[in-house]
Amino acid sequence: MISVAHAAAEEHAKSAGMPQFEPSMFEHQIVWSVISFLILLHLLKKHVLPAINDLLDARAKKIEEDLDSAKLARKQAEKSQTDLNNQLASARQMASETMDQARVDAARHREQAVEELNAELAKKKNAALLEIEAAKKKALAEVQATVVDLTMLATEKLIAKSVTKSSASSMVEEALKEIKGSDASLH
Amino acid sequence: MEPLHHFQVHKFVDFSLLGIDLSVSNSVLWMWIAAGLAFLFFTYGLRNTKQVPGRMQSLVELGYLFILDMVDDIIGKKDGRKFFPYIFSLFYFILFCNLSGLIPGSFTVTSQIIVTGTFAAIIVGFALLFGFYNHGIHYFKFFVPTGVPVLLMPLMVPIEIISFLARPVSLSVRLFANMTAGHTMLAVMFFYVVTLPIFGAWLPFGFTVVFTGVEIFIGFIQAYIFTILTCVYINDAIHLH
Amino acid sequence: MDSSAAALIGMGLAAAGFAGSGIGLGTLFGKAIEAIARQPGAESQVSKYIWIGMAFVEAVALYGLVVVFIIMGKG
Repeated sequence: MISVAHAAAEEHAKSAGMPQFEPSMFEHQIVWSVISFLILLHLLKKHVLPAINDLLDARAKKIEEDLDSAKLARKQAEKSQTDLNNQLASARQMASETMDQARVDAARHREQAVEELNAELAKKKNAALLEIEAAKKKALAEVQATVVDLTMLATEKLIAKSVTKSSASSMVEEALKEIKGSDASLH
Repeated sequence: MEPLHHFQVHKFVDFSLLGIDLSVSNSVLWMWIAAGLAFLFFTYGLRNTKQVPGRMQSLVELGYLFILDMVDDIIGKKDGRKFFPYIFSLFYFILFCNLSGLIPGSFTVTSQIIVTGTFAAIIVGFALLFGFYNHGIHYFKFFVPTGVPVLLMPLMVPIEIISFLARPVSLSVRLFANMTAGHTMLAVMFFYVVTLPIFGAWLPFGFTVVFTGVEIFIGFIQAYIFTILTCVYINDAIHLH
Repeated sequence: MDSSAAALIGMGLAAAGFAGSGIGLGTLFGKAIEAIARQPGAESQVSKYIWIGMAFVEAVALYGLVVVFIIMGKG
């Protein structure tokens, strides 16, 4: 009885205290914690750590390569940019040269056109003047002819109609005078 | 009310080989589960790796770089890399032990002081041996603080030695106490959830919901602290101050 | 005095040690907030150390809690 009660009391004391301080449970936990840790260490070292290491190394390498290729691409881009700039500059120069040429050509064309026009105008003017002259001469000749005709007609009529004795005599006299005068001037 | 009941270790299989106790208990079972979860987490994240990572792969890479940065920061790139696999495994073992303990009905391996104590003793013992291996007899300088008058040396050297000896104790007890306290608190609150009438039970129940989130955070922080202190101790063994 | 009563008193006294952790937490967060207020750019750096420091300070209280549990087992 006593021993049972004692055992019960001991059991009670055991359950009231910390179960962690039960020495009979120490040994297997020490052994197994070391073994478990070593197994986990082995597994991680064998399968996990190299995999992660490779992964990170591969990524670092990839990033480095990407950076390098990006640098290269950038260099190329810069080169093509300068090429483009050069092309652009030459194109611009060409354009300005063409423009100047065109301006010069245009000026020359204009001058030529003005000259031609002037020449033509002068020619036309001359032609017009000649025409006017000819027309004037013709008109004068016509007028002269008409005047002669008219004079002849008038004279005829005058002679035919109104030559009287007195007037005829005076006219003769006059004509004689004229002849004398011309003689005198001859001598 | 037995708030410490769920820390009880039960042996399922009593087994010993060559005088070594190799029994399988609930603690051992959850050690395996935690280690398996840690391994599964990484293999699942790395099942088909891509140059542009998916969610799980990003998480795995983040977890890798987190530890790598820590080791590089504290021990240094040159000396630290050879310890990296050990520290990495240590962090994830402890982290998954902490987190798997939050599954209802599970067992928290890191709430066993003997487990944390084993790790702490191995780490500090290794740091001590490694220090002597690196520096020989000069490693004793580690216990002599610089810039202290010679007159104070009889006082300072024992303090340094004691603080060195306290390292494994504080390292193991910190993790163990955090896990134990958090889970005990949850157990107490669950006890009230069950025993209180329904109009009062929602309060402790809400508390358990919030506190489970806090426990996840503490699980991360404590694993981090444990690992960072491991790094610091190893660094002390490499670079004498 | 009964030994179990003494154990209960001891447990209570051990819990009083949590006050130190409380002071530590107050100082830690107060100083951290001050530091962030002075130097908002350093927030991520400071908050990293807050959580580490918090874990250390909290551990002190939990050492007390462990003592409580140990006494609880002996009582």
